[in-house]
Amino acid sequence: MATTGTSAVELRSLTRTYGRGEAAVHALRGIDLALPRGSFTAVMGPSGSGKSTFLQCAAGLDRPTGGEVLLGGEPITHLNENKLTKLRRSRVGFVFQSFNLLPSLTVQQNVLLPLRLAGASPDRRRAQALLADVGLDGHGRRRPGQLSGGQQQRVAIARALITRPEVIFADEPTGALDTGTARDILDLLRRAVDTMSATVVMVTHDPVAASRADRVLFLADGLLAGELHTPTPTAVADRMVTLTARGGTSLGAAA
Amino acid sequence: MNGLARASVRFRPASFAGSFVALLFAAAMVMACGTLLQTGVTAHVAPVRYAHVPVVVAPDPDARITVGHGEDRETEGEPLTDTPRLSAAFAPRIAAEPGVAAAVPDIAFPVQGAGLTALTGRNWDARAVEGVAAAQGHAPAAGEVVLDPGSARAAHTGVGRTVTLTAPGGTATYRVAGLTAPGTAATAYFAESAAPRLSGHPGLADAVAVLPRPGVSTAEAADQARHAVGRAADVRTGDGRGAAEQPRLAGAKEMLTAIGGSFGGIAAATAVFVVMGTVALAVGQRRREIALLRAIGATPRQIRRTVATEAVLVAPLAGLAGLLPGVALARWWLDQLVRRDAVPHGVTLAVGWIPMVVAVGAGLLAALVAGLLAARRPSKARPSEALGEAAVERRRPGVIRTLLGTVAVAGGVVLAAVAAHTTGDDAASIALAVVFCFMAGVAFLGPVVAWLAAAILGLPLRAGGAPGALAAANTRANARALASAITPIVLVTAFAGTLLCMQSSLQHESSRQIRDGVVADQVIGSAGAGVPAGTAARAARVEGVADAVGVLRSGALYRASGALNSTSVLGVDGDPAQLPGVLALGLRTGSLAGLTRDGRTVAVDTLLAATAKVHVGDRISLWLGDGTALRPRVVATYSRGLGLGSLLLPRAVLAPHAASAFDTEVLVHDGPGADAGAVRRALADRLGVPGLRVTDRAGYRAQADRDLELNAWANRVMAAVLGGFAAVAAANTLVMTVLDRRREVALLRLAGTTRLQVLRMLRGEAVLVAVAGLAIGSAIAWITLVPIARGLTGAAPYLAPRTAAVLACATLLLTLTATTLPARALLRDARGA
Ligand SMILES: Nc1ncnc2c1ncn2[C@@H]1O[C@H](COP(=O)(O)OP(=O)(O)OP(=O)(O)O)[C@@H](O)[C@H]1O
Ligand SMILES: [Mg+2]
Repeated sequence: MATTGTSAVELRSLTRTYGRGEAAVHALRGIDLALPRGSFTAVMGPSGSGKSTFLQCAAGLDRPTGGEVLLGGEPITHLNENKLTKLRRSRVGFVFQSFNLLPSLTVQQNVLLPLRLAGASPDRRRAQALLADVGLDGHGRRRPGQLSGGQQQRVAIARALITRPEVIFADEPTGALDTGTARDILDLLRRAVDTMSATVVMVTHDPVAASRADRVLFLADGLLAGELHTPTPTAVADRMVTLTARGGTSLGAAA
Repeated sequence: MNGLARASVRFRPASFAGSFVALLFAAAMVMACGTLLQTGVTAHVAPVRYAHVPVVVAPDPDARITVGHGEDRETEGEPLTDTPRLSAAFAPRIAAEPGVAAAVPDIAFPVQGAGLTALTGRNWDARAVEGVAAAQGHAPAAGEVVLDPGSARAAHTGVGRTVTLTAPGGTATYRVAGLTAPGTAATAYFAESAAPRLSGHPGLADAVAVLPRPGVSTAEAADQARHAVGRAADVRTGDGRGAAEQPRLAGAKEMLTAIGGSFGGIAAATAVFVVMGTVALAVGQRRREIALLRAIGATPRQIRRTVATEAVLVAPLAGLAGLLPGVALARWWLDQLVRRDAVPHGVTLAVGWIPMVVAVGAGLLAALVAGLLAARRPSKARPSEALGEAAVERRRPGVIRTLLGTVAVAGGVVLAAVAAHTTGDDAASIALAVVFCFMAGVAFLGPVVAWLAAAILGLPLRAGGAPGALAAANTRANARALASAITPIVLVTAFAGTLLCMQSSLQHESSRQIRDGVVADQVIGSAGAGVPAGTAARAARVEGVADAVGVLRSGALYRASGALNSTSVLGVDGDPAQLPGVLALGLRTGSLAGLTRDGRTVAVDTLLAATAKVHVGDRISLWLGDGTALRPRVVATYSRGLGLGSLLLPRAVLAPHAASAFDTEVLVHDGPGADAGAVRRALADRLGVPGLRVTDRAGYRAQADRDLELNAWANRVMAAVLGGFAAVAAANTLVMTVLDRRREVALLRLAGTTRLQVLRMLRGEAVLVAVAGLAIGSAIAWITLVPIARGLTGAAPYLAPRTAAVLACATLLLTLTATTLPARALLRDARGA
């Protein structure tokens, strides 16, 4: 694995437990991982395997129960909310699985929101360009309520890109999209990696989408259950089938 | 950040509508009370009757006592219960001053005659006050009267003919000496020598009008008048003369100040309370949005600023919108008080900027604080936490919350214990304070209370099929939202219940005492100003009558430690030994035989004796209606004072100092074996005084105590205002919580729940909320009322079952409507979605 100095994201024996005692759910059971700068990583796994939790912990949106998270080599686990927020604001973009946009703001305002929160001057032209990139040219004045689910997801991607973050986390960004639009979005993420040397971490259930990544991580039951480098859709699909067939039992990771 | 807040408010006004409504009504209520308070402080009336008299010497309208010692010495004043009067002997002393042309005692008393009601009797010199000249005829000599033309016509008389008139001092036939100018007020002028005796309060005048000599300024004349009377009376000029003309202005001002101050304080506190609850709910409902903002990169500080900005955007607008309705409410309230004779005509509403600033400012402050407090948790929470699809409710309430709630409840209990020692006027405001403490307790402990209520009341609900079970599960899972709906219902029930029940307890006990206490066989009453003195003596001579006792009801002040309290006085005619034949006072200690006619003795009600801490043999400080101070010895205590009168004095002592020296009633005890019907007819025939009516004992009017009636009305209005506000708040909250469940309802519909099942589920929750609110509210009202009712009436609180049923039904209806209407709207939307 890559050394600490060059990793965009590094996780050290990361655990996350919801609830206490009897009712405790061990969403993450100890994850060690480093994602190099300028890499495109897909995260796959059965539903409930801890993918969203993993993503949120890595992005500093959630605090792990144990272990450490380093963003760009800097440990963030012990930062206070203010510092963490500012760090997230400047370095991280996030696309949620759902409920991504503020209903009271227009599409364009939603895209520009991170800049405004950071106190930077809103770059309207870039917002328009990003909206055009995600196929929403001319939708800038609409409200999220007037968009379809997939369109909302695309606005969220535009918003995640607006600050030119070092790392972009996307939770099923293509989950609600047709294959054509999904391909556009994946191209966009790919371009961010290739031309802006951003690091992208994407959760997906779609083997085709996963195959666009440099590497695919498999999660099962809160543990890493293997990975694939330079994946193909069939290889990914095969791995997923075995994973699901095993009922989420974690075996030693096979590279 | 401003842009964010503005965008939220502008684009989604619906999510601020709830806060807006609460703020608007809060501002209206605070504005109304503030306006009444300001009116009470600044009220004055322009002189009408004394407009032509530059200087008026008037009695002090307040009774005063000094409390404390040394440094802490303070004078406490309390408006007199009837018309303040001063000694007519001041007139010659003032007239002796060099700059004074004339000083005329102004005497007024009620006069009645055949066809004449509401005639005012005056001394002839008083016409100098008004500048009325006899248009026809001459000044009245003894046995003569000058009438206004209207009254003369009504009595079918004229100059040179006769008229029979009844004044408090007696009934006589007078020759009409002259008529005043047409269109003047209904007045009968008597000879200067006769008027004092006829008035029933010889030697006392309402005021002395001072007319300066030509060339003497008003200020000089006032100085000389002051020199003549010293500190025994007030010398008034300018608008101050209005207060002399309307002695009740002082009482009215005090009442307005009390309404505006004590009730206003409670109202303001309630308003702040409700606004805070609503704003907190509104912010809480936007938890997801806040979490998203946090996830995108908003710092906790930025979130707090956004919420604060929203408050600043919404609160002043809502406050301003509430000002006008507030003024309208104050205007209505004042009009009603004027109509009920509690405030003199000519007092106008003082609409000032101070109440406006307070009304708008209090709302803004409450909204700000509530918004910031409510935003504290979500702004600090991890973004992922609040982003979870099913926002998981926090189970355990905070330590501070629990602590504050416990303190508030404990405070309520302590205050309730203190309230047991209050009387009359203060009881209502203390009761409200007690209710308020409990309310705060309920609000702080809300989720716990709601969870408990849901757990208990959910049992029967779960039996009601799928919708019932859903409702029970929902209420338990969403205890916090449920609490914010229950709290206003508790508020309505507790406030309205306490105020109404306090009054009905008083009335219930009072009429019970009258029922048990009036044992007379016949009651002679009057349709007019009263029964003239001497009627009792004549009634006693009618065949079949054993005793006849004239009773005069009036008011008085008594001193209880450091305060002056008002109470009712019963003046009884004749031998105290006859009293048990007509009135069963319920004697407890001492004996009425000791009640002398010189005003050195008094009998008192046991509750009053307890408040004033006097026993038989002690002295008690009293101020009669006109300000005359007495310090009689207590000779007896009795139990039925609430209905019959809390102080018992001989009529002769009381009459000259009451507003009118007429008897209120004559109570007749039939002789043994007399036929009641025959005696009644005989009395009606023989007495020969116009306007009298003879009835059985049921005719004893339920205490015609103006204070009591006014209090009853005032309590009803306060109940309506507070209850109405709380009802609006309750409806508002319910609508907010139902509308917040759009997603849940859509989901339920998608999952195959029928419209009817969803409605039934929501109705089930509404019923649960209503029943829980009613139960907790009634419990609070009861805890508040038990000690207070004991202090006021000596009995347990009482609420007419009908009133209770109406309250309960209204509450149920309110919750059901406020749930069903928005639910229907949701279901309509869900179909489209
Ligand atoms: N707030 C929460 N409280 C308790 N348990 C939770 C919470 N959030 C997630 N979990 C549990 O943690 C585990 C991992 O959840 P997570 O959302 O990370 O799954 P996922 O892999 O993203 O699933 P999906 O593909 O369905 O989105 C699940 O078993 C889930 O039930
Ligand atoms: Mg997920």
